[in-house]
Amino acid sequence: MTVLLDPTSERSPTIRPRLPRPEKLDGLTIGILDIAKSRGDVFLHRLGERIGERGIAVKHYAKPTNTRVAPLPLRQQIAAEVDLVIEGLSD
Amino acid sequence: MTDRLPQNGLVAVVKRDCPTCVLAAPVLGALARDSGLTVYTQDDPSFPETVPGRIDDTALDMSHRLKIEIVPTLIRFEAGREVGRTYGWDRAEWQRLTGVEGLGRDLPETRPGCGAKNVEPGVIERLKIRFNETGLRSRRIAIGEDEDEQEAMFARGWSDGLPLAPPTEERVLHMLDGTARDPQEVLGLIPPALAAATVEKVAVNAVMAGCKAEYLPVVLAAVEAVLDESFAMHGVLATTMFVGPVVVVNGPVCRRIGMNSKGNALGQGNRANAAIGRALQLVIRNIGEGRPQEVDRATLGNPGKLSYCFAEDEEGSSWEPLAVERGLKPGQSAVTVFAGYGLQGIVDQKSRDPESLARSFAGSLRALSNVKHAPSCDALLVVCPEHHRTFRQAGWSKARLYEELYRLCEIPAAELVAGAQGIAEGGPASLAGKTVNKFRPGGIMIVRAGGDAGMFSGIIAGWSAGGPRSSLPVTKEVRN
Amino acid sequence: MADLEARGIPTVGVATTEFIEGAAAQAKSLGIDPALVFIPHPVQDRTDDELKKLADDHLEPILAMLVKRG
Repeated sequence: MTVLLDPTSERSPTIRPRLPRPEKLDGLTIGILDIAKSRGDVFLHRLGERIGERGIAVKHYAKPTNTRVAPLPLRQQIAAEVDLVIEGLSD
Repeated sequence: MTDRLPQNGLVAVVKRDCPTCVLAAPVLGALARDSGLTVYTQDDPSFPETVPGRIDDTALDMSHRLKIEIVPTLIRFEAGREVGRTYGWDRAEWQRLTGVEGLGRDLPETRPGCGAKNVEPGVIERLKIRFNETGLRSRRIAIGEDEDEQEAMFARGWSDGLPLAPPTEERVLHMLDGTARDPQEVLGLIPPALAAATVEKVAVNAVMAGCKAEYLPVVLAAVEAVLDESFAMHGVLATTMFVGPVVVVNGPVCRRIGMNSKGNALGQGNRANAAIGRALQLVIRNIGEGRPQEVDRATLGNPGKLSYCFAEDEEGSSWEPLAVERGLKPGQSAVTVFAGYGLQGIVDQKSRDPESLARSFAGSLRALSNVKHAPSCDALLVVCPEHHRTFRQAGWSKARLYEELYRLCEIPAAELVAGAQGIAEGGPASLAGKTVNKFRPGGIMIVRAGGDAGMFSGIIAGWSAGGPRSSLPVTKEVRN
Repeated sequence: MADLEARGIPTVGVATTEFIEGAAAQAKSLGIDPALVFIPHPVQDRTDDELKKLADDHLEPILAMLVKRG
């Protein structure tokens, strides 16, 4: 573990804040990323169906293996194709 | 570690790698056996063999607590307090302190000690950090083992786009050795956030920029300079125009810290030039929260906003250094900050006389910002040594060159009015019949820099429009 | 997740309650505050119908993490 000194004015918390969210989901595309743990696919597929019923565009993606981080090309593709992501199912 | 200091008794701190400690080992053994001496060893726990009950202080905790500087050190405690100590081997002193006669009969009278391990460079900083005695007040940020240090710093937005040197406590402590100033001294409020910049906070950013400790006084002077109201740092940052702070350094500090005033002085490759300029920008970014596409609205900016800092070439110059021109005494180290950008090259390999060369300079000066603009931005004219030689050989002082340049930059309104030369830009028709100077009085500054070969000078342009309504250059002394 | 947020894509993670502590530790060590929705453990041995019901039941909380609050 490395300890660094904060170079900033320290007006913000050390935790990086979440990205701001949009006001509404209309017109946006939601990506659903299956991280390849078992039974997650059924859960996520159902989420995708229900979201689609609301008229919101959905795209499905899957990590090739649960044991490693999603490959860079996949992450780049997701970032280019969707506005928001639901990632699951961790246990 | 339990506190084993005696209420009443003797303590010695030694190391094997010290001939005097080795010499005194038999005495230590006798005192341990007969007088209750406790011995702490700094390097090799098997030393001294003469003291079976010696205590391992390789972690140097006790040495640090006792503020040991030399080994062997012998200390006497009474009623829980230190009442005396002596360094090295000195029979008279040891006998006085211990109250025991006839110590070390076959040893010389005295023998000097050696430097203690706990005050070796680097070690003392680590101990201060461990004992939380650093006096550093910046918030500590723990980077998890999952995280790469570089990625962690990028993710937190600390970087200007390039990798940073991680500002560990050790590095910041070491950086603060470069100044005698109190780390908690507040230099001022950095725009746009108007957050307080302490010497310590500047040091943290100086570490990240890659500065050596000896650069810190120059960085501090540059920060003080941009905080001067007349520099208008907020405006300089927030503008849609190109400028950033350009730092020119004068005086003995340049050679002392190895700055470049010669070949490629405005380019890459010199640590001091690059890191000092960078540190100033990181201070504005991290303490002031001045960042592109946030408060910094520059349309294009310029590469100098990463770092733009160089030393004037004063040696052999017939002209006074910029800092002296601006009021400092010869031989003082100083920085001058100028809101500027880029470099407009002036190629003149044919002029043999100062008049011709001055006309080359003026031709380029007149093009700054827009050929139709007058008065226009300030300008920092960087004259290379070969061009300076032309002026020197003709006996032209700096003042003479200034006079000539201002005269050559007096432009007839007919060239400047909006629409003239088929360009919509320009001044009002009411200018007709007059001349307008390209520059406000004092709008040109001249420095000498560059390699000895090459007839290539350059202009660092300023912020339209120059002068008190925008940003004025500021000169500050470099203080240790 | 942190990577996608770093690329400008707001993300919500779905995990089972088993993962609550692990998620907190990871977040602390990375200095992030991820948006997470927890569903009851276990998941491995559930039938398809049970999983679909869990999805239906948690749809609103998940979508709520993807829009501005309030």
